[in-house]
Amino acid sequence: MAESNSVVTTSPRSLDEGRQAIPEYRRLMVEPEKCTGCRTCELFCSLKNQGEVNPARSRIHVVRSQTDGVITTVPIVCQQCDDPLCMAMCPAGALSRNLETFAVVVDTDKCLGCRTCVEVCPFGAPSVDPRTGKSDKCDLCGGDPTCVKYCSQEAIKFVFAEEESMTRKRDMADKYLEHLRTSSARVV
Amino acid sequence: MPYLYGGTILRVDLTKGEIKTVPTDRYASKYVGARGTNARLLYEAVDASTDPLGPENIVCFGSGPLTGTTFPGCSRTDVMTKSPVTGLIGDCSFGGDWSAELKNAGWDHVVLEGKSPHPVYVYIRNDKVEIRDARPYWGLPNYEAQAKIRADLKNENYKIVSIGPAGENLVTYASVHSNIGNSGSRTGIGAVMGSKNCKAIVVRGTKGIAVADPDAFLEACGEAHMHIRGTEAYAEYHQIGLLADELAYVRCGIECGGDAHETAPSFDDKFEYSDFNKRYGYKRTGCMGCPVHCMEAYNVPDIGATIISCELYPQLGAELRNYDERLWYHMVMQCHKQGVDNTSVATILQWLMTLWELGIIDESITDGYRMEWGNAEAIEGTFWNIVNRKGFGDILAQGMRVAADYMDDMISLEARGGQSTYYHAMQVNNNPMYGIVGRFHGQALAYSVGRRSDLISDLDMTEFLIVSAPVYPIWDDATKQAYTEGEQAEGLRLGGTPEAADPEGYKGKAALVHDMGMTIGLPDTVGTCKWHTKFLYMYIDAPHYAKALTAGLGRAVSPEELVNASLRMRNLERALENKLGRRRENDTIPEKEFDKKVAHGYWKGKLGTSREGLERMKSEYYLIRGWDLQTGIPYKETLLEYGLDDVAADLASLGILPERTETDTVRAMKDPTLAYILMDEEEKRARAGGRAAGSGNGQKGAVETESAVSS
Repeated sequence: MAESNSVVTTSPRSLDEGRQAIPEYRRLMVEPEKCTGCRTCELFCSLKNQGEVNPARSRIHVVRSQTDGVITTVPIVCQQCDDPLCMAMCPAGALSRNLETFAVVVDTDKCLGCRTCVEVCPFGAPSVDPRTGKSDKCDLCGGDPTCVKYCSQEAIKFVFAEEESMTRKRDMADKYLEHLRTSSARVV
Repeated sequence: MPYLYGGTILRVDLTKGEIKTVPTDRYASKYVGARGTNARLLYEAVDASTDPLGPENIVCFGSGPLTGTTFPGCSRTDVMTKSPVTGLIGDCSFGGDWSAELKNAGWDHVVLEGKSPHPVYVYIRNDKVEIRDARPYWGLPNYEAQAKIRADLKNENYKIVSIGPAGENLVTYASVHSNIGNSGSRTGIGAVMGSKNCKAIVVRGTKGIAVADPDAFLEACGEAHMHIRGTEAYAEYHQIGLLADELAYVRCGIECGGDAHETAPSFDDKFEYSDFNKRYGYKRTGCMGCPVHCMEAYNVPDIGATIISCELYPQLGAELRNYDERLWYHMVMQCHKQGVDNTSVATILQWLMTLWELGIIDESITDGYRMEWGNAEAIEGTFWNIVNRKGFGDILAQGMRVAADYMDDMISLEARGGQSTYYHAMQVNNNPMYGIVGRFHGQALAYSVGRRSDLISDLDMTEFLIVSAPVYPIWDDATKQAYTEGEQAEGLRLGGTPEAADPEGYKGKAALVHDMGMTIGLPDTVGTCKWHTKFLYMYIDAPHYAKALTAGLGRAVSPEELVNASLRMRNLERALENKLGRRRENDTIPEKEFDKKVAHGYWKGKLGTSREGLERMKSEYYLIRGWDLQTGIPYKETLLEYGLDDVAADLASLGILPERTETDTVRAMKDPTLAYILMDEEEKRARAGGRAAGSGNGQKGAVETESAVSS
């Protein structure tokens, strides 16, 4: 990314200005019910962003539970919030919005490694990398997320706002249509 | 840390409580890793006098260079030991994410040696390795033990492989288990772990796996992922796993075992797997780094949750004529939890039911259970007696040979119809087999020569496809035809004759079985899943592995080098099995199975393997492998070709090393059952235009044989 005015480095307020300039962004959309827990996203994320395969240093984590044999797997990744707590709370001003990708990105030169972003994030998405001692979080791979490419379940998608939860909307619509078609209360 | 490897092999001496380390490269440079390195570690540790359940036996858990990486199917752990079931090589591979975690902790293999005086588990967190007290977990089933260990360590990220009560109680065919449903079940590895008083190995690793060229490695792995996702087979397995396969195998008469097979009603009328899946399946799941997700996760009210895939469908159901889906499901889940091999339990119960039907055994032997087909009380009661080593179950837990000797003592020869009860046991070298696959020619060969007295490593998938295609549930006629024609072409290419792909034929089957064994050896050495190869028609092959390894290791790795390593491993394993006592006569199917027609399903009244046919296929197989026709031991020349000089010297010192002589080939030439193998070479080459690259040994063996004849 070239040094340009597309990077806003300060407060959330300037976000609005940015959004007027670039009205549409794609976001990572996670559908946990589709996830099988294979962690391919973790493997590829760490290889792409850390240069080694290491799920512990991945920026996306599949949280697995197998209590009583029931397996649940939920991928957790930065949601690139509209009004990010991490960005607001960072004492060093190391977090900023990249207006080309809409990702909240870390300036490692400024980062103190103080873990404030880790503590305030409601998702627990960022982490402080043990290797570098700096905050480390999803930057959407510069606008082309690697995890999305290799998720064979399409449990992680990279979509515009209008496409978000489209599968679920479609499923609901299908159910509704099926009900209309089969119930006594026919519309036609 | 070297690229793609953890770098170190961990040796844990449970007797002394000592931890030793060995550089992985000492083995990996020649054997690559996983099953290859395990085979070498085992070769160095055991011989014919080793008691499988004694402290002198070892258990090797191993990963390969692609395990835990972005390469698809990176999840496999190979486990090898001297088997308490067969007395030969015991080997399993399980998925999940255990060995990936192990590599992230900086270890490629863990070798358990000796015997702890009390129950322990091995704790590994990166460089920190400890032998810890496992008494609080002893006696707990796998799921509960693993959950309790994680809870006590206050960290859900620990990956655990453990044994259940069956392993603790030394049931000879006990399994090792990781996560939910990732099980290394065959050949009794759980019993060996139990004999060492080792409940579990608990691992957490955060060190990462170094890659020489991350961009090129990502590209190579990404390509392999997309290659798999582009195959037709993937489209099916990704959606419904092996539900359709298993139903087809039952329908065509493969997986409806032993004598249940003779009179069993059509199984798919009784129990539709996909219907069960619709009602109770809540999720598809799979192993780490795999795009396929071949396993089905179930949660059945009042019974519980577990994972089922592949052979687990027919074994405790169809093979026992048990059509009660709740009982079947409960039993599969208990096999996981108690840590015992599903196949062995099913085959042993089926054996008892056969003996009961023939009137050979009664309640006085079976602890009062009426061993009638599908009898719920008998199935469940006997299962618990085996796991807890009670009554007759205590005998059954020691395996089919011991149980047969016991029953033979109790029952007069006359009452047994002049046969040992062992005659009715469906086993190869005492390893319970599944289904009646011996009646299908290619599988009969695969079972006979299989490296762990099982068919899953060297097998004939061409035959599996061709016999099951006509009854495949979800394919239309065009798909059936396309698949069949594809496999017929493969049969012609490898076997050199259309007979190779003909279920009624014998000729050329050996080439198919050999080629599959060689192909499966590739993922088994690099530590990935064999299902992604041509084994399940997803066609990941040597060039894919070579490309990824080249990028990851930062040095050129050729496909030929990997094929060579696969063949080296197989010859090493064979030499070890020969050293442990295996000979040509041990390569066989149960006596009772010869000349029996398929009695159920699509192939009813057809096929059946003759004794002569099997011997013919075996000879063909040995010729391709470069093994002695008389003994089935690799020739000195074969061992030297693969750099196994010290193994050759070892066999020579035992006086069992054969040398390839002109006489062998001339004798083969004169033997009417073998002559055609040699004579067909010209025809083969003309037809297939020479073997495709990658089937090195086959071609070489054939050429050498021929030149020996002409000289």
